[in-house]
Amino acid sequence: MTDIIVKTVEELKDAPEEYREAIGKLVISHAVNELYGAQVFDEPAIAYAPTPYAKWLTCRVAMEEYGHHVRFKQLGVQMGIPEERMVPGTGKKPLSIFEFPLKTWEEFVAIKLLADLAEILQVEDLLHCTFHPLRNLARATMPEERFHAQFGEDFSAELVKTPDGKARLQAAVDEYYPYLPSFFGGSKSRNNEIFRKWKIKQRTNDEMRQDFITRASEVAAKYGLTLPEVRQAA
Amino acid sequence: MSSVVALPRALLDTLRVDVRAASWFAALGEPLTDGDRSDATAYAEALGFDFLEIGLARDWPDAERLLKAPDWTPAWWDREEALRRSLLADAEARYPEAALWSALTDLTTDAGDLVHGKAATAAARLGSAAPASIHVAAGAASQAIYQLAVARLAGQSASPFESKFRLYAAGRWPLGILGSRLVLF
Repeated sequence: MTDIIVKTVEELKDAPEEYREAIGKLVISHAVNELYGAQVFDEPAIAYAPTPYAKWLTCRVAMEEYGHHVRFKQLGVQMGIPEERMVPGTGKKPLSIFEFPLKTWEEFVAIKLLADLAEILQVEDLLHCTFHPLRNLARATMPEERFHAQFGEDFSAELVKTPDGKARLQAAVDEYYPYLPSFFGGSKSRNNEIFRKWKIKQRTNDEMRQDFITRASEVAAKYGLTLPEVRQAA
Repeated sequence: MSSVVALPRALLDTLRVDVRAASWFAALGEPLTDGDRSDATAYAEALGFDFLEIGLARDWPDAERLLKAPDWTPAWWDREEALRRSLLADAEARYPEAALWSALTDLTTDAGDLVHGKAATAAARLGSAAPASIHVAAGAASQAIYQLAVARLAGQSASPFESKFRLYAAGRWPLGILGSRLVLF
């Protein structure tokens, strides 16, 4: 019996253990990765932004990313997850991309253009989640994630106006893009199997990865950029 | 022996009240008052910029043009940043780091939603704002709240961030220093 709808955190207490554990893993993963992203990329990018307009726009993006962490953490706390499990450095392994600190404005633009597209796909897959508090959080987060990806598009459009800017952006894409397909997890992920069994998530990791590669190729082409070869999924 | 103490809840509560009471973006484009000029001068002087002319952006497109101008003065931003880092180090020496970080993050998350809505209202009222500019305004206001919180938690009640916040509280948006002018919207 896997047809289940859980409308509140209170109801979650009566859900099967496998379901509760799966929801807990997802909430922890989002809380940790939103915080990593804000700390490693968004906040440092403020210093690299070229004008006050870009700096304050980046401030807003950083605060929204921190805000996503706060919202996922608040949901986790309601579910009884200890706060220390929802911050980096306490067990949840970070995504490999977070091991490469930001060095330039072009890198940040490339990350917003492509990594936030990957984030959109992850959130999209939760929009029909059977655990409604998580579904609602995904719906609240989605407009901000779309804005962050649009930020990447807007500044990409600026950068590609000059050959030098385009070359620097392409170099950043070449550096960061290879790490992104592994965002979606392994092809034979047991976690993903459980997520789909309980209709917490909708698609396999490979389906999401392929969709990402297609959409990333389209958005890159829009700005005359090319994507490097993809590494093998984790 | 450590001198780290619990976070001052009363100070944070007062700050939240100040944020809620502020007239965020309500006076954009209006003629400058003596109070605006006084707070703007105090803000600039506290950052080490003397004898600045106080300029005024007429509307959203004018503000956007000024904020994107390549001839802006990075020293203004850099001095604020240096001061913020110094004050943050002071605050971290006073309070438990994790609690301080959580309090600042929660405050700016809540305040960010508030000022975003206020910026959207102001943009709708005046018209002609680029959609991204609402986010820019919200980012600027959220940053001002964060800076003020850090300063007060560091025990600094007379920092430039107080006069900067007063400008926002009066409905203004300090756009920054361009050449010899501090420009308000």
